[in-house]
Amino acid sequence: MKSLSLKNLAKTYFDAYKGEHVTAIRDVSLEVPAGEFVSIVGPSGCGKSTILNMVAGFIPHSGGEILVGGAPVKGPGPDRGVVFQSFALFPWKTVLDNVGFGPKMRGVPKAERDAIAREYLALAGLSHAADRYPNELSGGMQQRVGVVRALANQPDVLLMDEPFASVDAQTRMTLQDELSRIWEERRPTVVFITHDVPEAVFLANRVVVLSKGKVLAEVDVPISRPRVWDRLVADEQFKDLSNQVLALVRSA
Amino acid sequence: MERASRISAALIFIAPLAVLVALWAVVVPAFGVRPQIFPSVAAVGKAGLESLIDGSLLRHVASSVSRVAIGTVLAVLVAVPLGILMGVSRGVSAFLTPLMRFFSVLAGIAWIPIATLWFGYGFGAIVFVIFNAVFFVVAYNTLLGVSTIPMTLRHAAASLGAGRRAMLTDVLLPGALPNIVTGIRTGLGFAWRGLIAAEMIATDVGLGYMLFVARDFYQTEVIVLGMIVIGTLWLLIDRLILVPLERATIERWGLVSA
Ligand SMILES: Nc1ncnc2c1ncn2[C@@H]1O[C@H](COP(=O)(O)OP(=O)(O)O)[C@@H](O)[C@H]1O
Ligand SMILES: [Mg+2]
Repeated sequence: MKSLSLKNLAKTYFDAYKGEHVTAIRDVSLEVPAGEFVSIVGPSGCGKSTILNMVAGFIPHSGGEILVGGAPVKGPGPDRGVVFQSFALFPWKTVLDNVGFGPKMRGVPKAERDAIAREYLALAGLSHAADRYPNELSGGMQQRVGVVRALANQPDVLLMDEPFASVDAQTRMTLQDELSRIWEERRPTVVFITHDVPEAVFLANRVVVLSKGKVLAEVDVPISRPRVWDRLVADEQFKDLSNQVLALVRSA
Repeated sequence: MERASRISAALIFIAPLAVLVALWAVVVPAFGVRPQIFPSVAAVGKAGLESLIDGSLLRHVASSVSRVAIGTVLAVLVAVPLGILMGVSRGVSAFLTPLMRFFSVLAGIAWIPIATLWFGYGFGAIVFVIFNAVFFVVAYNTLLGVSTIPMTLRHAAASLGAGRRAMLTDVLLPGALPNIVTGIRTGLGFAWRGLIAAEMIATDVGLGYMLFVARDFYQTEVIVLGMIVIGTLWLLIDRLILVPLERATIERWGLVSA
């Protein structure tokens, strides 16, 4: 587990279609201490994915710094695990081999990485699916695998870009419950991107509201843990914080 | 259950062929068709038996099949890595795609004249024709396959620690496999036809040669026998090699190529 710090981060795209430069991120500074769960919310197009893709190393940044545990980020790497909205599981690998992929890349022998993968699958109640292929699973199950695959590689920072946006509402709440429980058990450093305000508040220690490529506000979420929807739906503190964040997002 | 359904599938497949043979057995004597025009079933059977006994059929089949096998294996071995390399870089792939398509369309047969000029008559020219029939189609399809792999899969692999090599073996190759298999299937079809054509011109052994020589002596029973063997061999290659290959990989992964 390591800290993540963004210092005056900026990103300008060249829009080949319009033939002009577009500033997606103006000036974003953010500190995420090791073991903290931070949500970034904001209306669509405000630059959430751009930040995450730069931190993941998928696209270069145009200005500023990205430091993981104090070291600058250069390209993608296993120190930053990523969970994708589209799941991005390897269709040609079983669930077990998907989850064991990170350890395999580290050179962990087959028997050992299978054991690691099984341990993490058990964490998400997926033991029975180990030998299935991704296309044989529901969307909710696939994203459980996506989360577990990232965790099994023990990244310093876990990056999630609207991971639950493409599953049904019922499953989404279950996945949120599970992610919250897993975070409480393992305490990874997480940056979680969403446009869903209750989701952001439910999961995070701190919610960052993004607007037009800049940080509009940061809201601490001191709600006690463990957090489960059964308790939080009626929780006054949760409602107040959600309304507060929602007002900020709407003003964005 | 499994076996019963297999047998019934085989029957459904064979039935139309059996009907065709039955029709042939009736029509040839009924209309008194002369053997120079079309042989009787019995004559073809006899020709088959004789060529089996004197070993000539086996010799023709063996040389045809080995030429196809060698040309195809060589072509796949070169085309797949090259196709992947081309697919990895968008610039290279954009530049080479039209060329690959152009050469894919030539489909083997069109290479025969130049092949005989370059390699003379014989093994080299024929393998070259087969190589070209398979190579361009497989390279093109591999290139296509790589470029259709979603970027997020490459990103996922990279952020799980995959280097160049693992990206190749664990992402690009399996991701392109549905297209590669399609390419091999199309290419082998071209190759098989190209082979027969090339053997009529450029050799003195092989199924194509067998057909061509028989024509000079009005041996329609040998011609028809050759045609039956050529068709049957293709069906066997398709059923016993290509279809199982597809089953084992693509269908299981849910990657049936559109
Ligand atoms: N590859 C790109 N080329 C040009 N503009 C882009 C590109 N990707 C994103 N943008 C622009 O950058 C802005 C932020 O996009 P994004 O980070 O995807 O927002 P969000 O994830 O918050 O919806 C948008 O205005 C979008 O149109
Ligand atoms: Mg986005």
